[in-house]
Amino acid sequence: MNGRDMTPALAVEGLAVFHGDTALVRDVSFAIAPGGVLTLLGESGSGKSLLAQAIMGNLPSSLRCAGRVHIAGDSTAAADARSRHAGWGRRLALLPQEPWLALDPTMKVGAQVAETYELVAGGPRGDARVRTDRALASLGLADAAHKYPFMISGGMAQRVAFLATHAAGAPLMIIDEPTKGLDANRRGEVLDLLLAARREGMSLLCITHDIWLARALGGQLAVMLKGEVIEQGESAQVLAAPRQEYTRRLLAADPASWSTPQATHPSTSADALVRIEGIGKAFGPHTLFSGIDAVIGAGEIVAVAGPSGSGKTSFGNIVLGLLRPDSGRVVRAPQLAPTAFQKIQQDPGAAFAPRVTLRQSLRDLVKLHRLDWAELETLLERMRLEPALLDRLPHQVSGGELQRIALARVLLMKPALIFADEPTSRLDPVTQQDVFALLLEHVRASGCALLLVTHDTDIVDRIASRRIVLG
Amino acid sequence: MTMHTLSSDDFIDPAAGRRRPGRAQISGMVLLAAIACFAVFGPWLIGIDPAVQQLERYLEAPSLAHPLGLDQLGRSALARLAHAAQLSLALALISVLSAAIPGTLLGLLAAWRGGWLERVLAAIADAVLALPGLLLVLLLAAFAPGGFWPLYVGISLALWVEYFRVVRAATRILMASPHVEAARLLGFGPLHIVRRHLLPELLPRLFTLMRFGFAGAVLAMAALGFVGVGLQPPTAELGVMMIELLPYYGEAPWLIGAPVLVLFLTLLGLLLLSPETEAA
Repeated sequence: MNGRDMTPALAVEGLAVFHGDTALVRDVSFAIAPGGVLTLLGESGSGKSLLAQAIMGNLPSSLRCAGRVHIAGDSTAAADARSRHAGWGRRLALLPQEPWLALDPTMKVGAQVAETYELVAGGPRGDARVRTDRALASLGLADAAHKYPFMISGGMAQRVAFLATHAAGAPLMIIDEPTKGLDANRRGEVLDLLLAARREGMSLLCITHDIWLARALGGQLAVMLKGEVIEQGESAQVLAAPRQEYTRRLLAADPASWSTPQATHPSTSADALVRIEGIGKAFGPHTLFSGIDAVIGAGEIVAVAGPSGSGKTSFGNIVLGLLRPDSGRVVRAPQLAPTAFQKIQQDPGAAFAPRVTLRQSLRDLVKLHRLDWAELETLLERMRLEPALLDRLPHQVSGGELQRIALARVLLMKPALIFADEPTSRLDPVTQQDVFALLLEHVRASGCALLLVTHDTDIVDRIASRRIVLG
Repeated sequence: MTMHTLSSDDFIDPAAGRRRPGRAQISGMVLLAAIACFAVFGPWLIGIDPAVQQLERYLEAPSLAHPLGLDQLGRSALARLAHAAQLSLALALISVLSAAIPGTLLGLLAAWRGGWLERVLAAIADAVLALPGLLLVLLLAAFAPGGFWPLYVGISLALWVEYFRVVRAATRILMASPHVEAARLLGFGPLHIVRRHLLPELLPRLFTLMRFGFAGAVLAMAALGFVGVGLQPPTAELGVMMIELLPYYGEAPWLIGAPVLVLFLTLLGLLLLSPETEAA
């Protein structure tokens, strides 16, 4: 298809976003042909989400933008956000990240989708219901129409959100991190959804740090770094032969391209840290797992595997002693201190007291256990963290930095076992590789065991020496 | 997070966490400080006994010596107003604190311990809620008419439930949060968790409740005084003054206007204190 003699579905000219005098996004230009796809690839902080917000006309009030945005031939100044608001849903739609959070929890699925047909697309009510039922059925959601969002799975919620944003027939959709934190099956579902939308003739602007998705979607690819598009071209071509050093690094950070693991020594029962004897857990009538036996020895890296909802986090929490099993027991080696088992959480932003500076949180810890502040400083330095970061509140620090601070905090305790619960699912690939490299380096140096939960089978294959399978 | 939009690490505004008081909050603080100064230092500065009567000068118009004039028994209206403000505001403050502190502690305890203790405390709280607060005060006042204690105990008993319920609900959510989980794994005890994880989240909500509770206590006492159950004449209290002076509304409107104005300004100051994010 030749896009040149057609009006592009979306074109952006010299778009920039400023905070005061600092440019957060600089001089970005691109065009998406009708029915085309552009994937914006970049790490957190590269400005790719700000760019999308600027196109939508939805920037925080403390930021201003410059440049021009053309939507299907209608040209507006980027700063004139208001005139683009009228097109929301009809000409331009946004599928937010973690879309299950964007659904109204008090409203049935069918009604939420019908609402868009009725109010945004502007059809009569009866007609809207018919179209809703047809649309839900086409995505295999016919049974879900009378359910509330909390009654359906995350993948179904994503399809419902897609329908609700798409119902008014916007030919252009901006999709924000559609695969963030999803396991392989769910990623496949999302891809099918996007490919189906493409077949219908929709134009897509997809923001992601998922290289797998960028490759599978095809179309155009733009790589962003520090607010600038540094490389742009046919997706297959850029991914096969990147011209920029940074793009090469980004591709290398994909877990699928990590080097194969060093073998860790197998555990012997002599240095077993914890014995898990026939534990089981159920929530209400739903049994997560039962009769799981395992022994974790010092220095082992063990992955907990199983489909979504199989209780991987609950299993880890039982091992840590945070949760009581319904049956069986967990026996720790007797010489271990009560704080010998530590956890690294999925969302580092939620792992620190939210209204206390990081310095205060860490100082409390050092004081409590009579540790050495200098040791913490060395750790932070090895994690390549600026000491000045500690004077901020947790939400003022980026996810990658915060996860490294969380890692330093855990390592300071000289743990015998670390339970890492999806430690990088909210981080971009470069940061993910960084955090894993640091984690593994310290785990190997200190001889501490690692119990890992991740949805990413590539990571499991490359890191873990053994798996505990649930479900 | 107020809105679910494109969320990202792209832009972290270091100023976003800091909250500067708005214009309304500053005027509220100034107003309350002025009233507090009047209540604390007023009686001492004016230096006139609020109970001394000069019957021959009843309802005298305001003058330099008596800026609010003299009341129906020839007592200095300004001196009475200052004493009344002191008594009413002190009583309200004590009532609010003695409701807030046990309410908060019991709420923390219930959420922390759970089990039968939580169920018993919640049942007591519900039982108190089922009883109208003013009825409770009237009941207690019947045992000791005109005294200070029934008022104080009654208002506190009626008010602690709000604190208990809010603190219990918020604490349960916080106790399940990853940061509290992390703190427990790191070996921190209950005191630390309360101080660093729970109180910083709870205090803004408690402060909101206390502002409304304070306003409610001042009004309740004025209302009780007005129906003759609260403190009795010749005590100078805002509600009592209003009843006493109501018959003279036609001849000396400034006399009844003064306690009404003090009450109004106090409530206005308290309402102005609410942060703008909360005003919506």
